[in-house]
Amino acid sequence: MLLPCLAAAADPDPQALVAGLARPVPARTAYTEVRFAQMLDRPLVVRGELEYLGPGKLGKRVDTPYKEQTTIADGQVSVQRGTRKPREIGLGQVPELEGFLRGFSALLGGDAAVLAQDFTLTTRGTAQRWHLSLVPKDARLKRRVASIEVDGDDAGARCFGIVDADGDANILLVEALASAELPKPLTRRNLEITCAGTAAK
Amino acid sequence: MRRGTLALLVAWIAALAVLGVVVQRNLHVGSDLRSFMPPAQTPDQKLLMEQIGEGPGSRLLLLALSGKPATDLATASRAMADALRGDERFTQVANGAFESGLLDDALLPYRFLLTPSFDGAPLDRDVLADELAQRLEDLGSPAATLLKPLLPRDPTLEIMKLAEHWSPPKPPLVREGVWFSPDGEALLLVQTRAAGFDPDAQGAAIEALQAYGRDLPAMAGAELVISGPGYFGVVVSRTTKGEAQWLGHLSTIGFVILLLVAYRSIAVLGLAALPIVSGGLAGIAAIALAFDAVHGITLAFGFTLLGVAQEYPIRVLSHRRAGESALESVRALWPLLLTAIASACIAYLAFFASGVEGLQQLAVFTIVGLLVAGWSTRHLLPRVLPERFRDAADTPGLERAWRFLDGLPRPRWLPPLLLALSAVMLATASTPFWQNNLAALTPVPADLLQREGRLRAALGAPDVRYLLVVQAADADGVLALSERITPDVEALVERGAIDGAELPSRYLPSLATQRERQAALPAREALSAMLGEALEGVPFRAGLFEPFLEDVERARTLELLTPERFASSPLGARLQAMLVPHDGQWIGLGTLIGVHDAAAFDAIAQKNGGAVRLLDLKGASESLVAAYRERILHAFGIAVVLLVATVLVAFRDVRRAWHVLAPMTLATILVLAVLRACGVSMSLFHLVALTLAAGLGLHYALFFERIAPDAAEARRTLHATLVCVVSALLVFALLAWSSLPVLRAIGLTVSLGVGFHFCLSILMARETRAGAVGPLDGKGHDARQG
Repeated sequence: MLLPCLAAAADPDPQALVAGLARPVPARTAYTEVRFAQMLDRPLVVRGELEYLGPGKLGKRVDTPYKEQTTIADGQVSVQRGTRKPREIGLGQVPELEGFLRGFSALLGGDAAVLAQDFTLTTRGTAQRWHLSLVPKDARLKRRVASIEVDGDDAGARCFGIVDADGDANILLVEALASAELPKPLTRRNLEITCAGTAAK
Repeated sequence: MRRGTLALLVAWIAALAVLGVVVQRNLHVGSDLRSFMPPAQTPDQKLLMEQIGEGPGSRLLLLALSGKPATDLATASRAMADALRGDERFTQVANGAFESGLLDDALLPYRFLLTPSFDGAPLDRDVLADELAQRLEDLGSPAATLLKPLLPRDPTLEIMKLAEHWSPPKPPLVREGVWFSPDGEALLLVQTRAAGFDPDAQGAAIEALQAYGRDLPAMAGAELVISGPGYFGVVVSRTTKGEAQWLGHLSTIGFVILLLVAYRSIAVLGLAALPIVSGGLAGIAAIALAFDAVHGITLAFGFTLLGVAQEYPIRVLSHRRAGESALESVRALWPLLLTAIASACIAYLAFFASGVEGLQQLAVFTIVGLLVAGWSTRHLLPRVLPERFRDAADTPGLERAWRFLDGLPRPRWLPPLLLALSAVMLATASTPFWQNNLAALTPVPADLLQREGRLRAALGAPDVRYLLVVQAADADGVLALSERITPDVEALVERGAIDGAELPSRYLPSLATQRERQAALPAREALSAMLGEALEGVPFRAGLFEPFLEDVERARTLELLTPERFASSPLGARLQAMLVPHDGQWIGLGTLIGVHDAAAFDAIAQKNGGAVRLLDLKGASESLVAAYRERILHAFGIAVVLLVATVLVAFRDVRRAWHVLAPMTLATILVLAVLRACGVSMSLFHLVALTLAAGLGLHYALFFERIAPDAAEARRTLHATLVCVVSALLVFALLAWSSLPVLRAIGLTVSLGVGFHFCLSILMARETRAGAVGPLDGKGHDARQG
């Protein structure tokens, strides 16, 4: 009965955190994505639904401001926009991307072992309000993606953030936060506070 | 030894040494296989000969890496590609990885002239708005990190569209970012700067490849396999050289033993070699002076054919008899030897008339070699031979052998029976009479060819048999025509007649098209305004696309891209191999992949009045061989007439000439029949070998036909002939074991020939049993050409 106290005192165990993210397949959640890019003079907000269909199988639907369906399965990425012909990208062409998606899929599947192959995991916070940071091990992937940041609480993940090597970031607010109102002004700092909740301050 | 003799011997050897130095300084051994192919007659054949050596296909090398896990092989493939891209010897390296350096900085603005993207819809506000909206969406896609660096200069992603446009029509499997075969090897496609059959440069390129394979850290533990025409050329050249040397050593050893056994004297052994060494050196010197490079095969063949000359000293040695100086013995033999030498030289003149450089070299080598060997046998050898010798007539066992051969029944019905048997064998042979496939003579090991086929299929590399030829007055005309027929060719791909095609205009549009695209590009202000409107509602930062505006503006005033200007880039080098000047015109070579219906191209050819046609390299090469055979058969026909004339003139007696010519003819027919019965199809090389065997047979018949003054002299003739037969068999039976089909064809044919010629000469040539020779009529002469 001493364990919860110890856990509360130290940073949460990454293995347990990741395992706690596992959801029965198929798992779906609405999301709100905010893109912060140096090329853009204001952040871009995109809404839709995220889908986890098993290891290596992901779906991401964009409903606003445009329509797009991205499907990742069997090493193929297919992007369909509006009524255009779907565009296929072989993941083999971009091996570093494959590592990234494998990691993301393992994260959603709660597979800590697979995740640990490609990323270094660090955590902070408590089991109720935690933050998980994944830094890629592969040098080539590192040149493109600096880290994946996950915020969560005892109910599961709240935010997924993908930080590019050049400092750009995509932050996805999921589950309960997906429908929450976005902070004003919409800055990266404010959004990070929203994701972290009160505990991270 | 008398002083005069010694002086002559020293002078002779000194002369040979000088000749040897001259030869070594001037001899350049080449291995351009084309010099062993017949001269081109039709335009297709000419193109074929050019393409075999210099076309894009012949410069292509396929590399396969294996022996490590896929990830490591992919790393190795990248390391190889990086190393080779920095190497002068290679013009193109492809391993499936996206090449961001497809167009270098200077050429990048040309993308607006190269891309077909804006042919349908010009670059305007709507197009820009659509593209920018897509880029915004791309920022959220998994590929965002790849695309971001390109966006400011290339928001329409033209370079990606061009990369897709230029990717192989039938791309190979991609794993870990690079090409892989279904068997798990990482694949690379490399084009050498050197032409396919420039053996030295190809050898250097292949050695460089092997060095990278050995020394690059990423390649440690990986196995590198090279394939492709250039590699085969190098392998063939190495095998030829190695095998010729090996066989040469073996026959030399056998020969030394034979002479020691036959003449029991080491001095004689050394002296007997002098005429043939003189002939060989003189022959090489003659080709070294008359031709730029000597083909490796010429040397291998040449020394083989020169083996005939070894008969000359052997005849002299075997026919010496007590109470007669060597010079007197030679004088007695000379008319017969001269007949043999003259007829052999005449036979080789037929090679000279063939018009094939390799065979002409062979003719020069052999004729000069035979003449020099003959002359030195007549004038030099007898003067340096030791005065003491063993009479060959006293060789133990020879008497018995002679009695046995002399006592053999010589039934009148034997020759006609053999002739009839031959006719049956020739008529019932199931394989085609002629072997028209040049590749059957090119000694590329079957497993290498099989691997080549497998790698070629995995890489989607172009068909080696068919090329689409596009002809016009100049290079730009070719590009324009190539553009015009592209829709028709694409329709063929759609219909399944071919799997894919690569036309020259795929890499560079014609000047007219470039000019049109250039004129359609908006001016800077206009484009800037359009971009401003397109950016409304899209949150891209202001001024972000300044580099794009600059590139378009530069593209509007660029000097149009010509093949020469394009040549500095990897793609331009690829294009250069597809555009060749030919007969005062320009020819574009489109490569085709997986041709299923060659006839489907007829319609395109008709529509363009013959300026576009399908070149069937196999068909062209077979027609080349067939046309060539006709020429060489004519030459042989003339040689036969000359040979008969020589023998008639020498004998001034039809009956004696008949005794010499009949066994020779029948033996030749028999060899042909046996080969056919064994399923061998005749090639040029079999014809050459048959002629050679006939030349040897002529020697046997000439000497057996001679009326010996006494039994001892008859035994000497048998002794000489036996030594000759065994020495010929030593050389040619060894060749029959060669791994090179060409050498095998010659070896087998000549060995059979030597056997038949010897037996039939014994049975048919001798006047003493004139009655038994048989009523072999003129049919033999007609049939030998059949």
